[in-house]
Amino acid sequence: MEITLKHLRRNYGSLHAVDDVSLNIPSNTVFGIIGRSGAGKSTLVRLISMLERPDEGEVYYDDKRVDNLEKKALIDARRRIGMIFQNFNLFSSRNAAENIAYPMEICGMDKGSIKKRTEELLDLVGLSGRGNAPISTLSGGQKQRVAIARALAVNPDILFCDEATSALDPQTTRAILSLIKEIQKKMNLTVVMITHQMEVVRDSCDYVAVLDAGRIVEEGKVADVFANPKSATTKDFLSNLTSVHSSVVRWSKDGGRYTLRFRGSKTDAPILSTVSRQTGAIFNIRAAGVQIVNDEEIGIMVCDIGPDKEIEEKAIAALEENGIIVEEEK
Amino acid sequence: MSRMFDIVFSSTIETLEMVFFSTVFSVIIGLPLGIILQITDTEEHGGLKPSPVINSILSRIVNIFRSFPFIILIILLMPLSRLILGTAIGTEATIVPLSIAAAPFVARIVESALKEIDPGVIQAARAMGSTNTQIIVKVMIPEAMPSLVSGVTLTIINLIGYSAMAGALGGGGLGDLAIRYGYQRFNPSYMVAAVVVILVMVELIQVVGNKISNHLIAKR
Repeated sequence: MEITLKHLRRNYGSLHAVDDVSLNIPSNTVFGIIGRSGAGKSTLVRLISMLERPDEGEVYYDDKRVDNLEKKALIDARRRIGMIFQNFNLFSSRNAAENIAYPMEICGMDKGSIKKRTEELLDLVGLSGRGNAPISTLSGGQKQRVAIARALAVNPDILFCDEATSALDPQTTRAILSLIKEIQKKMNLTVVMITHQMEVVRDSCDYVAVLDAGRIVEEGKVADVFANPKSATTKDFLSNLTSVHSSVVRWSKDGGRYTLRFRGSKTDAPILSTVSRQTGAIFNIRAAGVQIVNDEEIGIMVCDIGPDKEIEEKAIAALEENGIIVEEEK
Repeated sequence: MSRMFDIVFSSTIETLEMVFFSTVFSVIIGLPLGIILQITDTEEHGGLKPSPVINSILSRIVNIFRSFPFIILIILLMPLSRLILGTAIGTEATIVPLSIAAAPFVARIVESALKEIDPGVIQAARAMGSTNTQIIVKVMIPEAMPSLVSGVTLTIINLIGYSAMAGALGGGGLGDLAIRYGYQRFNPSYMVAAVVVILVMVELIQVVGNKISNHLIAKR
């Protein structure tokens, strides 16, 4: 199901939590919305998921407007979406299977079908036979699996993930993300993934929108945004990612005025040597590595270019001619 | 000796009767009141259907009843007992003021038990398309059950104390026994017997209440 947002606005007093957001979330994709805390992500997801009404603007699921539904229609519409949360938000008074059964119970499904579907779902998320487990006995990853099963119980068209992996360790995060991707393909879901972690976007999303101070500052295909970030916020997110990512090795703390990004096949070509010969530039490499973004390799190299200003400029022009994105640190 | 046993025994039964029925009635009145207090609270405090007017009126009524000295409340409520039961004297008649005195207490206990529920859990239930009734019945009450059980335990223990007071005003029971036989007839053995029975009762209820509440928590 395609989601369209038109000029959404939500204020809390004088704070513009969501400030004129328009966005098209294509059907059948994993769409990431990334932002720092306080950027308005949570408010935005509450607006898109019909938990809160916008002050201005419209939300459409396919062609159906959903931001102004009446009570009865609103409840029906909510039953067609699934949502998972950072803190899992499972019912502690119910065991795993009963948690998964809840959305079916409230729709008035009969006991037999609920039981059958619950078994299927436990199977789907890799928790077969754990239905009777009390929630407190499950690990964080298992809790999120139960939450995913619960969200998928009524065959929703859309799955909202509100910081779904933020409380999990990196390994569990990867496992949960690959589960979400797998399910997305299997069930033809539209997944909206709210996060503050660029790793999550890198590992699971097809598209990304970057949110800052309630506005969308950048959006596009993940590979494009990673290779050629335009806004300062995006660059900031990416630089944090680079510094923590294990495949980028930095062997000198100083320098590194330029960040070069190589996309796809260019990762293999001897461009640096070629440019060096052509222009006489000297490259002093400070850090380098490769990132895999949506099955596409993006090479990153942090370096200084010498020996003088004139050659430096020539070298940059030559690099850009070769399709390398050069970014200067200011 | 057997005469004393008979008297203590029948007084104990009267106290149990008063406490049992007033607990039932105070929960019947207090539970919905507590739920209304919670759901009409502001959104920040987890209200499902915020209504400042209903909330502040109800809250004030509850506070007035709770701050009334119980002994005065019984006297004030005597006409109500007479209206409902045809009499203001006796064990049954005492159940009316006891229930009404304990109901606001139950309401506050229910309210605070419901407030303890993680707001995220209720948000999740809402996002899944639960109606408010479904949230109350299927989520809030089950989630708060251990605290509700502890709250009812506390209510019963309070009611044992109240019933002793009410007994002195013509309701019978162990309080009446202690005053009439023990105090007015200078018979300390009755006084001691009444106190011991009450102590045992309170202790038993506390132990059983804790057991149930802990069992519910352990199952989670």
